[in-house]
Amino acid sequence: MALIETIHIKKDYRLGETVVHALRGIDMSIDQGEFVAVWGPSGSGKTTLLNLIGAIDDPSEGRLLIDGQEVALLSDSKRSELRNRSIGFIFQGFNLIPVLSALENVMLPLQINSAPFSEARKKALRHLDEVGLSDFVHHRPDTMSGGQRQRVAIARALVTNPSLIIADEPTANLDSDTSRKIIGLMRDLNERVNTTFIFSTHDQRLLDNVGRLVRIEDGKILNGGDAQ
Amino acid sequence: MIKWIKIAFRNILKNRRRSFVTLLAIATGFAAVSLFRGYADNTYWGLRQMAVRGEGLGHLTVYKDGWLNKGKIDPDRYMFSKEEIQRIIDLVEEDDDVILATPQIHISGLVSNGRTSAIFLANGVIPGDEKIIRGSWSAVRPVKGDGLSDARLYGVEMAEDLAGHLDLNLGSDAVVMASTLDGQMNALDIEVIGVYDTGSDATNDKYLRVPFAFAQSLYDTEKADRVVVLLDDWKKTEQARTVLLNRLSEAGLPCEIRTWNELSLFYSKVKGMFDMIFMFLFFIVLVIVVMSVVNTMGMAVIERTREIGTLRALGLKRRGVGFLFAVEGAMIGLLGSILGIVLNVGVWAIIRAVKPTYIPPGVSTPVSLIVNLAPQAMLILAVFLIVLSLIAAILPARRAARQNVVDALGHV
Repeated sequence: MALIETIHIKKDYRLGETVVHALRGIDMSIDQGEFVAVWGPSGSGKTTLLNLIGAIDDPSEGRLLIDGQEVALLSDSKRSELRNRSIGFIFQGFNLIPVLSALENVMLPLQINSAPFSEARKKALRHLDEVGLSDFVHHRPDTMSGGQRQRVAIARALVTNPSLIIADEPTANLDSDTSRKIIGLMRDLNERVNTTFIFSTHDQRLLDNVGRLVRIEDGKILNGGDAQ
Repeated sequence: MIKWIKIAFRNILKNRRRSFVTLLAIATGFAAVSLFRGYADNTYWGLRQMAVRGEGLGHLTVYKDGWLNKGKIDPDRYMFSKEEIQRIIDLVEEDDDVILATPQIHISGLVSNGRTSAIFLANGVIPGDEKIIRGSWSAVRPVKGDGLSDARLYGVEMAEDLAGHLDLNLGSDAVVMASTLDGQMNALDIEVIGVYDTGSDATNDKYLRVPFAFAQSLYDTEKADRVVVLLDDWKKTEQARTVLLNRLSEAGLPCEIRTWNELSLFYSKVKGMFDMIFMFLFFIVLVIVVMSVVNTMGMAVIERTREIGTLRALGLKRRGVGFLFAVEGAMIGLLGSILGIVLNVGVWAIIRAVKPTYIPPGVSTPVSLIVNLAPQAMLILAVFLIVLSLIAAILPARRAARQNVVDALGHV
């Protein structure tokens, strides 16, 4: 069974009188452990597709199944639980909580799930160590570089051991050296822990490392929609 | 829970200037309400003392049934006889809460220095009992001279302005005239052995205090029109009234009992006015607190829209987002109240150090501005403001919780 399955998903936005067809029928399946890039020009629907797969947006038509579970049938509360347990997010702008330290940011998804403090701290420290930030655990985001912040975001995405990590242009705000390190780190985690990564990117270095490339244009998949 | 408090606290610190203005608004409101409450409490205490001890009303006054309506028309019928007085005193003093029960008689007439006359109102009291009733009040408004004594039947205490109008001093002699209960004119010599300030312009030119036996003699009677009861605690007034009414009724002595606050119109009016001002002030503070917290939390929700989107994406439920902002609102209320307590104690200390005085309307001498520190009232007010801040934060918190996650993440 595929980890992610989209069945003829459509997404429309209304901008005043105009209806924008962001996705025009996406059929795609992704298996556990894949390292998938969604690639396409600006406005092609990449971010919209990732938002739907991440269960933070609803399709206008079609069905989305995560681990065999139809997302549209879940209540907002259940969907929050699904995101917390099974999906990690890495954002282009890092989206760390500014008033929390690196350690506290990474502990947050566990604490949202009411994990005991000591257990959350232990796991967060381990993941910060994995991304090479052992010396920065008490630093707040505004005292860290872009690369360090993105590594904190990766540690935060990984801390709940999700089956899926969604990354929207994870290297867009990073310099080339840092981007290379972040790409290597994601690829390493994918191979070592078998975590599924789905990300949108324009970064050729990242595209060179992917296991599968899904090309999207005008809200339609041009190629790479089926699991390999 | 601790993590949400931590996030809330750090966000308050992050926006120092805005938070400080909000906290200052709450603290100022808190201090204003609390200081006024403290001032009102002290005023109530002073007025209570003035009524119970200064005016000599005691806590309860027992009248024969009918006296209050018809006593002026037919006083002899509605006064207590000598035997009734003793029975009432015995029955009343059975109660452990009663310190004293003493008969009194109110008289009125003319007082003359031989050249001019003036109207007087006098209270005929048993000197020893009167000393007990006045208690610590004697130090607040001391009587100049010896004061009433059982040994000096014709010695009276005279209010300052009355003594001044009649040009009477300590040791001066005068004559009082009044109708007896039978309607005959009677006159008795008096000697001014005490001069006192009643504390009120309205009474300072009329009042006398005379020995009970002297008042009876002037009215040519052995009766009394009331029995004044002093309790060990004013809070027991209502309870004692019920108990005593029942006991006297069962003993075949139908009576009416008035409490000190019912008899002291001044106390009731001042209390009514102060309570109204307090409610008005409290309402203003309530509006200020609600507006400040709603504004602050509304700004916080707008500024932290992306943060809300991130938390939702990480799996925080809608009620969790609402809870986060509600905690922040409650914390603003808590910190504002703490700052308010500091402000309150500071102003209280300054007032105690400076000791300002003022002359209230209708009062003959300056009184000190005293503000009580009321820890219990402050605690209740703090809890109220915390809950109010929490409630005020709920509206913006609900708005935050209902935001679409994608829209929130895309917010700039």
